[in-house]
Amino acid sequence: MKPAAFDYYRPGTVEDALAALGTSETAKVLAGGQSLIPAMNFRLSQPDLLVDIGGVGGLDRLEVGPSGVTIGASVTQSRVMASDEVAIAVPGLRRALRHVAHLQIRNRGTVCGSLAHADPAAELPALAVACGATLFLQGTAGRRTVDAGDFFLGPFWTDLAEGEIITGVHFPSEAADTVTVLDELAWRSGDFAITGLAAALTTRDGTVSGARLVSFGVGGAPRRMAGAEQAVLGFALGDDSSALYGAAYEDGFDAVDDIHASAEYRREALGALAVRSVRAVLASNGNGTGV
Amino acid sequence: MMDTNPGLREVDVSVSINGTQVSHRVPARLLLSDFIRDVVGLTGTHVGCEHGYCGACTVIVDGDAIRSCSTLAAQIDGSAIRTVEDLATDGELTPMQQAFHENHAMQCGFCTAGFLMTLESVDPDGYQEKEQVIDLLSGNLCRCTGYHNIFNAVCSTWGVDS
Repeated sequence: MKPAAFDYYRPGTVEDALAALGTSETAKVLAGGQSLIPAMNFRLSQPDLLVDIGGVGGLDRLEVGPSGVTIGASVTQSRVMASDEVAIAVPGLRRALRHVAHLQIRNRGTVCGSLAHADPAAELPALAVACGATLFLQGTAGRRTVDAGDFFLGPFWTDLAEGEIITGVHFPSEAADTVTVLDELAWRSGDFAITGLAAALTTRDGTVSGARLVSFGVGGAPRRMAGAEQAVLGFALGDDSSALYGAAYEDGFDAVDDIHASAEYRREALGALAVRSVRAVLASNGNGTGV
Repeated sequence: MMDTNPGLREVDVSVSINGTQVSHRVPARLLLSDFIRDVVGLTGTHVGCEHGYCGACTVIVDGDAIRSCSTLAAQIDGSAIRTVEDLATDGELTPMQQAFHENHAMQCGFCTAGFLMTLESVDPDGYQEKEQVIDLLSGNLCRCTGYHNIFNAVCSTWGVDS
């Protein structure tokens, strides 16, 4: 299939991009296009105007500072993954990006585009929630920031208002006692996850002292796993894992049945991933080496 | 404020393709894969799934392997494209193409151009473990060979212990 006809606009500034978006109710922002163009090829999406932000000045910035990593809206996943500075400040980004699609797609696909698309099985939204990332949004009415934990509302549904765009996202520097990991089950390396888990785990003296656990590919949006986050506190490497497994299983209460896996399978997988991720971090002596 | 849609239904695309500069006015909706095949006339790039899954349409844009079916020609205006036609010189195969030949790393051949362009785009130094080669190959589908011969061709070319 080919996309239905549309008008194409490549602005040089965010202001021009926003003004163009305001001229059409079906306009879409085009960044890497790795979700949007396939959807347009299927004619699932038929915008009458594409606003290509690939040429917007400033959105290509990838900045690493003391507070963390700021990723502009046109920065590709490959560029983030290749940066050693990023991998030192926020190691979870490279770990997660390994699971995102394939090389050829990461070469065009953007981090912010994945967040805006909000596929329920995508890795980066869950990672953003686990890391406590902040999104920078801009509309004709002005700018605002949103915590990743408040941004993802449902399948392909976010807090982004009509005519608003994501200009960037900030991932805070990983604390010295915290390791962020992402693990998933997929039928093929690089495919969307059947079930996935992003985890930011803080350890002290070989036990878990703090946790942000986020499921994805289970229900309609990435979600904090309240039960497992409690159950994992005090967990040590050799501990019996049944309570953690059971809590993670219960956290998957809204798992969906589909052609890829049953809801029951997803819940069991979520339990197994929680145990596997926590053990992997503890086995690395809490510093993430080799995770 | 803009009152009317500033977009264009047709766009001018000027690119270098295999070292030759080309310029065409094309529909904005034209996919890069169709630009290469139907406008420029280079049919070595194959179109399989047209939704970014199979990798048959992989080409190299400014050094990076990408899916040409999931990219608009309009997006890559000003870039340098390489396709499978750029690999052999005067009929002499590249070492990887030769290894594909010797290992019979294809049956129907539909996916071959995509594999070759993915492999051409990377530095082999980053793929010296067989798991890294397997992960790299996972972005291209082959429905005939079961991948073994392709894997063997890559490992023999790059000196990876398979």
